[in-house]
This record gives sequence, C-alpha cells and structure tokens, in this order.
Amino acid sequence: MAQATKGKLNFRCPSCFMRDIDIDMFFDEAKGEYYCLRCGFTGREEDVLRLNEAARYRYRAMKLRVVDFGEDNEPVRFAPHKGGEQ
Amino acid sequence: MENKFVVNIIHRPELSPEYAEKALGGADGVRDESLDIFRFQQDTAHKYGLKTTIQITYASLFSDVIVDLAKQEHEQYGDEIGLSLLGLPCPEFKEKYKTEDFCIWMFDEATKREIIDDVFGKFYEKFGFYPESTSSYFLDAYTINYIKANYPSVKCAVATCWEEGPKAYHTCNNSWYTFMDGGPWNPWIPSKVNSHCPAADADDDAGIVAIPHLSRDLMACFDGNGSNFGTHPQNVLRGMIYYNEDGEYEYPYLYNLIDQYRHLAKYNDGYSYNMMFVGPGWLNRRGRWEAPYELLAKSYDDGMKYYGKLKAEGKLVDMTMSEFADYYRSIHTDYKRGECALWKDILYGSNKQYFWYADSALRTCFDFNQGGAMIDLRPYVARIPQTTGIGTDNVYDASYPYLIQINYRAGYFTHYAGAGTIKSCRVSARGQSADLCLCRTMAKYERVEGGVRLLVDPVTVTLGGLDVVIGTTITIPDGGGEVITERRILNDLGGESVTFEEYFTGGFGTTEYQADMSRLTLGVDEETMAFSYHGKKIVGENAARAFVTIPEVCTTVEMGGDNDEAEVEEGIAFSPVYRLAARKTITKGGVTTWLKLQKAN
Repeated sequence: MAQATKGKLNFRCPSCFMRDIDIDMFFDEAKGEYYCLRCGFTGREEDVLRLNEAARYRYRAMKLRVVDFGEDNEPVRFAPHKGGEQ
Repeated sequence: MENKFVVNIIHRPELSPEYAEKALGGADGVRDESLDIFRFQQDTAHKYGLKTTIQITYASLFSDVIVDLAKQEHEQYGDEIGLSLLGLPCPEFKEKYKTEDFCIWMFDEATKREIIDDVFGKFYEKFGFYPESTSSYFLDAYTINYIKANYPSVKCAVATCWEEGPKAYHTCNNSWYTFMDGGPWNPWIPSKVNSHCPAADADDDAGIVAIPHLSRDLMACFDGNGSNFGTHPQNVLRGMIYYNEDGEYEYPYLYNLIDQYRHLAKYNDGYSYNMMFVGPGWLNRRGRWEAPYELLAKSYDDGMKYYGKLKAEGKLVDMTMSEFADYYRSIHTDYKRGECALWKDILYGSNKQYFWYADSALRTCFDFNQGGAMIDLRPYVARIPQTTGIGTDNVYDASYPYLIQINYRAGYFTHYAGAGTIKSCRVSARGQSADLCLCRTMAKYERVEGGVRLLVDPVTVTLGGLDVVIGTTITIPDGGGEVITERRILNDLGGESVTFEEYFTGGFGTTEYQADMSRLTLGVDEETMAFSYHGKKIVGENAARAFVTIPEVCTTVEMGGDNDEAEVEEGIAFSPVYRLAARKTITKGGVTTWLKLQKAN
C-alpha cells in the first residue's frame, strides 16, 4: 500500500480546528478517507466539509454587516449582509 | 481634528516563500509563481487606485525582473521601495549563512549585523539609495538600533505581529515559534531599550515608527489564533469566517473588522489605522486552508476593492510606509499619550466589550463583560532589557512579559482551587460576597485632562437580600504607569455597611506556565516577606500600600488608596500567584484605589 498524501487541498482536521489547532490531514487512498495524525478523526471529503460548516456555529455575526457601532455603551447594530455588497 | 483613516498596503516579492515552497513540494515552479503572485497583488491594489509599499526581499534582490518592476511601479504609481528582512531564505542566503533560520530576531548579534549589512548593501547596489522602511514579523531593539545607527534613512518598520505567541504556537500544532505577545496593536514609536514599549521621551525614541503586521481583531485574537482574525483576507478564510450564498463566497467580517478600526478614530483624536501585508504563500495556486486559488484571489481583490471604495468616498487615505511615519510623527508629538481602543465583539454576536490601552508605561485591557476587570497587564515602565536570538536567554521567545493574562493564567474562573490572574473587586455585606467579575456591563470612554477615563455602566449585586448598586470609574493618567479605580454606592443602603475589596492577583511570564517565584518580595508598608509558597499574608491597618517586587521583570506593583486595610498574600505551589488587596467598609459614598507600576532594578 502506498503512503498517504495531502489530498487535493490542505483539508484540516475539523475536530482539531474546533479546539483551535490547524493540522492538515492526510489522505488514505485505499480507504478513500482523510485522517488526522493527532486525534482519531477520519472522514471523507463530504464529512470534512459538513463538519467545517458545523464549526462555524460560534460565528453568530458571520453573515451580518455592521450598520453602526452605536454609542460606547450600546451593542453594535447589525443588518443581514447583502451578497455582492461591501 | 477631522477623522483620518490611514492605510498601509505592503507587498513583498518572495522568490522562495516559506509556505509555498513546502506546499508545492519543492522549488520547481515556485519562482515563477511567486513573481506572478506579486504582480497580481500589485495590479490589484493599483486597479483600485491604491499605492503600495514594496518590501524587497533578499531573494528578490537577485532578480532583475523584480528590481526593474519595483522601479517601474515606483515611477508610475508612487509606490515606495522598502527593504524587508522577511523572505531571507533562498539558495544564495542558505549557501552564504549555512542556515535554515529565517527570522532576523533569532540570529546571534554578529549574524544579525552581517545580514543587515549584506541586505542593505545589496539593496543599495540595485537601487542606488537606502530604503526608508523595513519589515519583519518582529524586530527587537538591538536590530532596530543597529539599522537606525547605520542606515538612518529608515524611519518606518513592521515590527510585531500583535498577540502572536503561545496561541499561534498551539494553533500550528506546536511548531510555529513566533513568540511576540505583549506589544501595541497599532503603530507606535518604539523604545531604544525594548521595541515592544512605546518610547517615553525623545531620548528613548529609537528613531522609527513601528507598525504591526496586520490589524487584528482585538477581542478574537486575545482568545484565539491571531492568524484567523485580521485584515489579511486569507486569514479570514483560515478562520472559516466566510460562507457561500448563491454560488458566491461572502465574508462581511472582513469589512466589519476594517470598519471597527475606522471607528477607533473616536478614541484617538480622529486618527485611525489599518494595514494589509499578505505574503505570496497565501495566494499560491494550489489553494490554502480548504480554499481554492480562486477564492484566495477573490478575497484579496475584495479586500483591496473595499479599501478603494473607502478611498473613493473620501474615507481613507492610502500612504506608503515612509509617508505614514512622517504623518504619525506629526500627530503624535506627546510621548505620554496612550493609544486607546474600545472594542466590541463583531464575530460571536455577543455584547462583549474590551478597552485596550497602551502608553509608554503600560499596556492593559479591561473586560466589561466581567464588570470592568483588568484582564491583561504589561509593565512597559520596566523597559525590560530583553535580548533575543541565539546566544541570549531568549533564543526565540520575544514576548513582553505579562503580570496579568487571564487566558494563559486563568482569570476569575479556576477549577475548584487556586486563583487566576485578574484585577477586580469583591463586595461583601450581610455575610455574603460577590465579585464584580460576574456583573456583565458596558462602558463609555472620555478624554479628560491628562488622561483617559472609563465610565462603567452601574451594576447591582445582591447580598443577603440587600441590593447594592455600584458605579465604577477607571482613570489612566497619560504615561504614569497608574490606574485609578473608584467604586461608588449609587443607592440608599439605609445605613448598612458594605465592604469593598479591590484586589490584584498577578503572576509574571510570557507563556501559560509560571516560572519560580522564590525571588519575589512582598510587603505592606515597611513589613516585608520573601515568597515561599506557604500562603502567608501581611495585613496592615490604615496602611499606605501593599506591594510586590518581581526581579525577573524588573517591576514593582503597588496598590493603595483610601483603604482601611492593605494586604499582600503569597500563593502556594498549586497556585503560583501573588495577591494585593485594599479593603474599605462604607455605608455610602465610594472607595478609591490606585495601582502603580514602577521599574525595579
């Protein structure tokens, strides 16, 4: 069996990403899966993409655009970001 | 003065970028690709009407194509040609210096001098003048002083990556040795003694204006990896702070981040700043961080497009690095004035709010989600004479030490035992007590004569059924190394007594791990003790001050005020910290305490 490779992009381990570790996974061609050298994560590309999406749960303001930073002691005012705009 | 948002856009042509060479699996094709990336970056900035500073690398000094291109773009667009100390690795460098090292601050002093003379000499050969700007991820005081003494034309330098230290190391699977926590987040005039510290006066002025490598999220980067949350579009991709909508990738966080930096003009006399400095490795054709090249390139284009849009609207002034140095000096004539940032969460959607402050005597941060507790403190007044590089005590660790850092050394929350580093206030009445760390609030900033003041929105603590409404005011005199805290009772307690204990729990260091504390001296007024890990205390009634002296960081921390009691306490082996406290019991009115940092030799 040939050695593992990096795969077509440097997919990071989604499990490690959620604990603030960027570690590229390697691709096991025989099994058709990515695997992490550090933790026990294994998964196919679609699993990695799905879990990367899940990792964004904490970014609640990710799709929002600041309208106004408000007074010092007021929360930021956001609006939904309009695609293609800045 | 009218608000002015200044932007530096910096490109460095690397012919052997450290990322790309590895990512591409060898040097084949790297040189051409790197040149293409540089051209793309330059063209993109110019497309949106922005000028750049080209930081020529050692490797590119061997390329006539790049030298000619830089000269041409200088003529055509007014781009500045500077000289970077990044991008040293190339066959010529490795052959000459017999090393794989590439960080200028990590070489021994003789090699630093040799490399600087070599690089500046070659630059002069190619361009016929010496540069006015230089750059690195970090520049130590020794390197800056040597450059300024021998190449006095240099007046601006990229000199730190803000809060890049243990967090970046951990994120990179404990392999990326850029330890440079503890510096300012926005430009500053560095001290001759320690480049992290803003100069205290003209004698201390190293003669350059230092700028940070990227403008980073002052909340997200304090907690997480700095390389996910900055004005580096590919950093935003690395942090996965983007989404796909109708086939298009969107990253409004990048624009929100730029806008929050613009907003900081409110706290700095109308001046605000941003910089973008993307190395070519981040735009390589193989893609990076799950992102294909097309997305990497789009994000760079969009970053420039937004800057260009702001410029077209008259909301942004693009400057080269040397132009910026002149401008910065023209508006920062008082060495004592601090840089301020009242920063709000723009990522997690919370109402968290920090206040960052840095002047020549201290850098600190307050968290109003924890009642205005002090969560970071660096004693710049100590001017710790750190040296870095091979042959010194700090081969790679260039971070400026903290006294408080709540994420490295816990803050309010600990696991059942011990104490974390933080400065806060404990309020007691009717046999119960509460820490203001658990009161979520926000604050207003105001400039006052000789300093800045934060007016914290009142909070209520309930103790045995008694509501105590407390207002807090925090004042920081310009360049004084002092923080004055006033707590006031804002409601009628019907004559009941409340005790306020203002406390400071500290450590020292640059990482999560505490070095031995046996050399510390603690005291209250004239009574002192050596730190011995036994949890001993000294309590003094009507004492003027409690203090601790920490020889390792050349600092004495003092606390006092209108207190009834002052106390100092040593920690234990399981909880290696020291604690200063000032207590006062009142029925109405307020309590004022001060915290002072002083240099201890």
